[in-house]
Amino acid sequence: MTKRLKIMVMMAIMVAIVLLSGCVAVPQSQAQRDIGTLIKRPTAVVLDREYGNKPIHYVTAIKSYFSVKLPRAKDARYKFSDPKRAYKRKGFAYGGDVDWKGWLVETSISIPNRSGRLLTPKPYMVLFSGNQIVEHILGNSHKLLVKVDR
Amino acid sequence: MANFNTHFIVAASASAVLSGTLLSMEVVSPEQGVVAFLLGTLGGLLPDVDSARSTSIKVAFNVLSLLLTIMMIFVKSSTYSILEMLVLATIIFVGIRYGFLEIFRKISKHRGMFHSVPVAFIWGVGIAILMQYFFALNSLVSWVYGLMVTFGYLVHLTLDEIYSVDLGNRRVKKSLGTALKFYNFKTSTDIVHTSIIYCLLVGLFMIAPDTELVINALFSQDAWLNFKDVLLPYDGKWFLH
Repeated sequence: MTKRLKIMVMMAIMVAIVLLSGCVAVPQSQAQRDIGTLIKRPTAVVLDREYGNKPIHYVTAIKSYFSVKLPRAKDARYKFSDPKRAYKRKGFAYGGDVDWKGWLVETSISIPNRSGRLLTPKPYMVLFSGNQIVEHILGNSHKLLVKVDR
Repeated sequence: MANFNTHFIVAASASAVLSGTLLSMEVVSPEQGVVAFLLGTLGGLLPDVDSARSTSIKVAFNVLSLLLTIMMIFVKSSTYSILEMLVLATIIFVGIRYGFLEIFRKISKHRGMFHSVPVAFIWGVGIAILMQYFFALNSLVSWVYGLMVTFGYLVHLTLDEIYSVDLGNRRVKKSLGTALKFYNFKTSTDIVHTSIIYCLLVGLFMIAPDTELVINALFSQDAWLNFKDVLLPYDGKWFLH
């Protein structure tokens, strides 16, 4: 074998090693695994698109909303949960279709009665479409409303 | 037994007092208070629906047939043509007002289990379910409407019992105890009726709206304190607030 041929064989082996090394499975880091999981579950992205943007300034929006709806609202005391995805059907008398999909904030409001005594807090579910309040429902649950996030 | 007019006036008066109290306690809004009053009055007429020739049965079936006809129009107005709705509305109205009424007259027995406390609650729970599932009302308002029907119903039964005592002649009539009863085990048919009613009541409670709000608003320590707060002028000044 000539010296020139030897050099060519050596180079071919090195190129083959370099090329084949690309086919070997390299252990994934945790971050890489997470990204892979996200890509495999397209529902996470679809759900966000489906339910709209998560409301950001919901505390201010809710206080402003109830300031004209509740008696003696200026003395009200509020508590808020984090926004969670939910959807609601129309009453069966109106067809029963899904008429709202968005974000729900569970709120507890305590207002004083007309003698000034603070009443037991009442739970409300405030329904958002983006940053806009659509409606509120008195209570923690409703037969026509489904909370997607627990 | 009290007649239709007596039942109507007493049920309306009692419902007015109760719905006014609920309004004052801020459990319901003024519009909801009016509906609560109407439902309480209707509840006061319902027990005599089992009497084949009573005015109550005609009123109840008129209201029911009209309500269901209007509901159908609401639901189908966006998809059906006017002629289709007209045909369907006629079928529903005539079917309930005349067809279903005749069937009901044949199977019902006056002062049977229809005149009983559990049936008063079946109406109440049924109305609460209807209000939440069909009209999407919140749990509190649904239960208030349901309980108003139960209240009116119980007022009727109580009035029937009061009328079965003849204070003038100081005697009790045969009808004593046939209205405000919890069960009837006289015949095997009565036992079956009683069993069906209690099973139905349990079944309805299982799908009924959440009771937490109505318990807090009407049957809790806080509700009692709230009632006491609004019973008398809070600042002690009568009519001069």
